[in-house]
Amino acid sequence: MRRPDFARTPTFYSVLAVACALALCTLVLFGLVYKQTTTYVISKYDALLAEELQIFASNTPDQLLQEINDRLLKDPQHIKIAGLFGADGSRIAGNLDLLPPGLAPDVPTNAVVIRLDGGERKAQNVRVAAHALPNGRNLVIGRQIDEITEIAKVVMRALALGLLPAFILTIFIAMFLSKRIFVRVTELNRKIQHVVTSDLHERLPTSGRGDTFDQIAVSVNQMLGDIESLVREIAAVGDNIAHDLRTPLTRVRVRLERGRAHATTLEELRTVVDQALGGLDQSLAIITALLRIAEIEHNRRLDGFSQVPLGPLVREIEDLYEPIAEDKGVALRVNSADETTVHGDRDLLFEAVANLVDNAIKFTPAGGHVDLTLLRREGGTVVQVRDTGPGISEIERESVTKRFYRSDKSRRTEGLGLGLSLVAAIVKLHGFQFAITAGPGCTVEIIFPQVH
Amino acid sequence: MASVLLIEDDKETADEIRAELGDRGYVVDWAANGIEGLDKARSVDAEVIIVDRLLPGMDGLTIIEALRQEGMRTPVLVLSALGAVDDRVRGLRAGGDDYLTKPFATVELIARIEALLRRPAESRDTLLRVGPLELDLMERTAKRGDRIIDLLPREFRLLEYMMRRKDQVLTRTMLLEEVWKYKFVPQTNLVDVHMGRLRHKVDEPNEPPMIHNVRGVGFILRAPA
Repeated sequence: MRRPDFARTPTFYSVLAVACALALCTLVLFGLVYKQTTTYVISKYDALLAEELQIFASNTPDQLLQEINDRLLKDPQHIKIAGLFGADGSRIAGNLDLLPPGLAPDVPTNAVVIRLDGGERKAQNVRVAAHALPNGRNLVIGRQIDEITEIAKVVMRALALGLLPAFILTIFIAMFLSKRIFVRVTELNRKIQHVVTSDLHERLPTSGRGDTFDQIAVSVNQMLGDIESLVREIAAVGDNIAHDLRTPLTRVRVRLERGRAHATTLEELRTVVDQALGGLDQSLAIITALLRIAEIEHNRRLDGFSQVPLGPLVREIEDLYEPIAEDKGVALRVNSADETTVHGDRDLLFEAVANLVDNAIKFTPAGGHVDLTLLRREGGTVVQVRDTGPGISEIERESVTKRFYRSDKSRRTEGLGLGLSLVAAIVKLHGFQFAITAGPGCTVEIIFPQVH
Repeated sequence: MASVLLIEDDKETADEIRAELGDRGYVVDWAANGIEGLDKARSVDAEVIIVDRLLPGMDGLTIIEALRQEGMRTPVLVLSALGAVDDRVRGLRAGGDDYLTKPFATVELIARIEALLRRPAESRDTLLRVGPLELDLMERTAKRGDRIIDLLPREFRLLEYMMRRKDQVLTRTMLLEEVWKYKFVPQTNLVDVHMGRLRHKVDEPNEPPMIHNVRGVGFILRAPA
C-alpha cells in the first residue's frame, strides 16, 4: 500500500515522535501532581484523625458515647465516621455496622466500609484509625475520602482538555510541515533528475529565504558548475589530445602514402619508413607524458618526501643542461648560492626543474640566454627560470599549464607541449606555487613558501 | 645460441617478437598464459625470460615472485602496457630485472635482452679496460693508451656505464633511465649532446673510433679492430 505523501518524509515522523514524547511527559507530570496532592491531603487527614483519636480516647466511656453521637450529629454531609465496638466486635455506637477488618491500632489506613447513616446502606472509601480502649472496646474514627477520587477526576479532565487537542494539533502541524517539505524535495528531485538526464546547464531554484533547502540548492549548483567546467575541460583536453596525436599521425600517414606511391629504391622506402617511425615515436612520447601527468596528479602519497636541498639540485641540472645550451648557442647562467632545503620528493622536483630548463633552452633561439636562479624573496624561496624565447601572452599563460597546450608561435618547433603541465602537476602535488610571467621572453617560477 | 622464454598472451605480439629474436639467432620458447609460462620457466632452461605484466591465468608479477622464491636467478624482462612509474617500481620490486613499456621499438627490446644476457658482473675491479681505454675508478682518471683524457664528473659517469657494457647497444632510453635517472622524455637532444662531448674526448680525429652511433637505436662502445 502506498503511504500518503505527508507520511513519506522524515519530518512527519520526527514531529510525531516529539508529540508523543511531549504527551508522555505531560502524563508523567499530571501523575506526579495527582500523587503529590493526594499524599498531602491524606497526610492532613491522618494528622487530624490522630488528634481526634487522642481526644476521644481521653474521655470516660459515657462521655465517649456522647462525643461519638455529637460528632455524627454535627456532620450533615456524612463525611465523618465514628464507631465503638465491644471486645467481641459487636457494635455499641456509631455509624458503622462492622469493625473494619485488618486495622492496625492507631495507624490510619484506607478501608471500604458500609455506613449506617445517610439513607441507603452503601459502601464508601474511607480513611480510618482504630484505638483499643482500656476496657477492651475498640474506638474507630475516620472520614470519607471521596475528595481523592474527585481530585483524580479533575486531573483527568484537565489532561483530556489540554493534551488531546494539543496532540491532534501536532499531528496537523506535522502533516502540514511534512507536506511542504515533500513538495520542495520533490521539486528539487525533479530538477536534479532533469539535470542528470538532459541538461547540465540547468540550476536548482532557490526560494530566497536562505533556509536549509536554499543552502543545499546553492551547494548543488556550485557542484554542477564545477562538473560543467570539468566536462568542458575534458572535452577541450580531448580535443587537444586528438589534435596533438593527429598531427604526427597524419604526417606518418602522408609519408607512408607518398613513399608507397613514389619510392623507387629500397633506400628511398627505408627513409620514408624511418620518418614514419619517428612520427610514431613522437605520438608514443605524447602518450607517455600524458600518463606521467595523470600519475603525478593522482599520486597523493607523500611517503617519498624528504628534506631536499635546492642548491645541489639546481647545480646537478646545470651540469646536465650546460652542454645542451652550449651546443645550441644559448648561454645558461646559473645562480645557486642559496642553501635552502624544502620538503618534497627529490626525483619529482628534479624532474620539474629539469623540465623548465629543458623547455627554456628549447624555445630560446641561438644567441639568447637562459637564467636558472635560486633566490630568496619575502614569503619563500624561488627557483626561477627566465629565458629570451618568444615569450608568452597574457591569455596563453593560464592555458599553458593545462595539458597539451602549446603556444602557436612555438608550434613550428617539434615538442610535446606537455612539459609545463607536468611541472604544474608536480608543484600542485607538493603544495608549492607556480607562476608564469610574461616580459621579454618568459619567466617561470616555482615558489616554495616559507614554513613557519 | 641464447635461449629465451617468452610468456605473452597476445599471439600477434608474440609472433613478432619470436620472428625478430629468431632472425637474430635466439631460440625462443613461447607460453601463451601464466600457468603454462610458470611450468616452462621451471622446465626449460632459458637464459632470459620475457614476461607480460597482465596475463590470463596468472599475473606476470606472480610468476616472477614464484620463480625468485624458488631461487631461480634467470634475468627477467617485464613487458607492460601499464606505463606508470609506480607499475615499473612494482615490477622491479617483484624481482624483474628490467621493465619495458608497450609499445616499444624492436631494437629497444633487443638491446635490453642483450643487456640482461651480459649483465655486468659486480666486479670489484677498480680499473676498467676496453681496448686501449682505461678507467681508474679510485683515482677518477681516464687514459686512452698513453693519452690522458680529462673528463668532467658527468662524462666519467657515462663512460663508466658504457665500459661496463662494452659491445652492447645502449638505447637513448636506457641511458636516460640509468645514467641520468630521467623519467620523462626530454624535448632536447640531451643524450646525443652528452654522448657527442664524450666521443669528442675519447675518439680523437687521428684515432680509430670506439664510440659508435647505431642509427635509430643508440650507441655502442667497442674496442677498435
